[in-house]
Amino acid sequence: MAKTLRVRFQPPLVLTLLILGFFVFIPMISAFEYSIRTPLTGGYGWTHYIWAIREDDFFHYILRSMWLAGVTVTITLFVLVPTLTWLHLSRSEVRGLIDGLSLLPLVIPVVAFAVGAQISFPEFVQNTVLELPFLYFVLALPYAYRSLDIGLNSIPLKTITEAARSAGANWWRTITAVIVPVIRGSVMATIALTFALSLGEYTLTVLLHWDTFPTWVTFVAQDNILGAIAISMMSLIIPFLILTVITLFVPERSMQGRK
Amino acid sequence: MSSKSLTLRNISKRFGNVNALDNFNLEVGVGELVALLGPSGCGKTTALRVVAGLEHQDAGTVLVADKNISDVPAHKRNMGMVFQAYSLFPNLTVEENVAFGLQMRKVSKHLRLKKAHELLDLVGLDSQSKRFTHQLSGGQQQRVALARALAFEPEILLLDEPLSALDAQVRVNLREEIRRLQLSLGTTTLFVTHDQEEAMAISDRVGVMNNGVLEQIDTPDVLYNKPASSFVAGFVGTMNRIPAHISDGMVEIFGSKVVALKRGNETGKVHALIRPESISVAATTAQGNAKVLTRSFMGASSNIICQTEDGTIVQSLMTSASTGDLLPGSSVQLRVLSSEVLVANV
Repeated sequence: MAKTLRVRFQPPLVLTLLILGFFVFIPMISAFEYSIRTPLTGGYGWTHYIWAIREDDFFHYILRSMWLAGVTVTITLFVLVPTLTWLHLSRSEVRGLIDGLSLLPLVIPVVAFAVGAQISFPEFVQNTVLELPFLYFVLALPYAYRSLDIGLNSIPLKTITEAARSAGANWWRTITAVIVPVIRGSVMATIALTFALSLGEYTLTVLLHWDTFPTWVTFVAQDNILGAIAISMMSLIIPFLILTVITLFVPERSMQGRK
Repeated sequence: MSSKSLTLRNISKRFGNVNALDNFNLEVGVGELVALLGPSGCGKTTALRVVAGLEHQDAGTVLVADKNISDVPAHKRNMGMVFQAYSLFPNLTVEENVAFGLQMRKVSKHLRLKKAHELLDLVGLDSQSKRFTHQLSGGQQQRVALARALAFEPEILLLDEPLSALDAQVRVNLREEIRRLQLSLGTTTLFVTHDQEEAMAISDRVGVMNNGVLEQIDTPDVLYNKPASSFVAGFVGTMNRIPAHISDGMVEIFGSKVVALKRGNETGKVHALIRPESISVAATTAQGNAKVLTRSFMGASSNIICQTEDGTIVQSLMTSASTGDLLPGSSVQLRVLSSEVLVANV
């Protein structure tokens, strides 16, 4: 797909990239520069990174957060792909309503989710950290929903679904062997968005009294701000590497967006 | 090939207020190709989708080899289907598309690819097996779809207007190919189309549908020459409707009497239904019974449009060699060539 992509010089595109670069890369580069400072010598070094890696808690919390993010991604895909497929195929009138409902997490304060979870979740769920992925799923819903919605809108869903079923695929195989690979780009975007949002979620986690990577970084920052920045930089790189590996290992075959 | 017979018994299906199928009955014999023909909205595609299990009928039963499959889900019906829209999986290569049905049936990779290549060879696309579907033309995509539908040796092959998105020449070639494959594999086939030429050209029998009901099902020859209803007569081929008078089972047309075939009033005014090739037009120096309006040369045959004294427009199809003197405006004598004609009420 990338081979056939032709990028021409387009001023709006260049402007967008410049603005994006300004808001994303300058803070990142600044943070990185800050994290390699060694105030004692006045020079640069990897002191804070070495410190962070030697901290047992670093791996404990980052693995815990990544595990929770992985569970959230799984819940998101298991719930949203079949639901959205059904909504698209049934052309049901409830689709508009569900479209609207999926946006609610953007306007409902996180504290309301925290209180809601404490009131409505059964105690055995509240006693385990697994209550977090269900709430992360809700928080990521507006983004994940739209990403998958765009993918399903861009393919002749009804025809390929019926072709798969008449060729002998049950619903599970139709979704896993046909729909998901065809909208692979959207699924990857959903995974990335949900994973990143779950990994960085702080407010809800604190309100529910759980410790994850972001809460630990905040705790570290109270004593060692440069160390906390170094940890944050690494926390950006590790999921990025994981997602890159996933992308590389899933063969690039989707012709999504082609007519 | 495990081809089986197909029976639809008293199938009814409604969509809101629309009666898509109304007590619909159909039998397709083993190895037979039956086309369902009709205008859009007549229920032909709904009938096919009910057979495929993609729609569930409100009433009635679907039988394959006398086994009731009405409640069997689509993926367990073992029916190959080719769709009107291009339906290949864009993430799979041509050979993987063809092997898909076998993959779902857990056939080993080696065997399913072997079978896919056999089928691709049959549709003349084996050399394209490693390509992705967007690299193929429309006609090639439908050939692959046909190969995919046949690869798992379906009991019934269902064709839902597979040619309607293609160019004229490709359509003709592909329909011949479908027929050739269907005959060689002996697959029982139900073919839905709105194109009468397509239906007549390749089907053993053609069923003409209107408003959810099968008006007539017969061989193309019978359907054309002995239409069972006024609708079938008008829908299949071109039919002149000439006002005439009937009495004692005889119709008087263009000054001569012809035997009236069934239907219609016993006496009084009727419409005689006559095919263009059953009307001859002869130039006359005397006062004829019509005037030539236009003459369209179509190679071996010519189409002559005339107007009778009472204003009726009559179309005649004659060999071009005999129409040289039929100039627009010239006076002509029309004659009915057949000894019997169908009549319909006015």
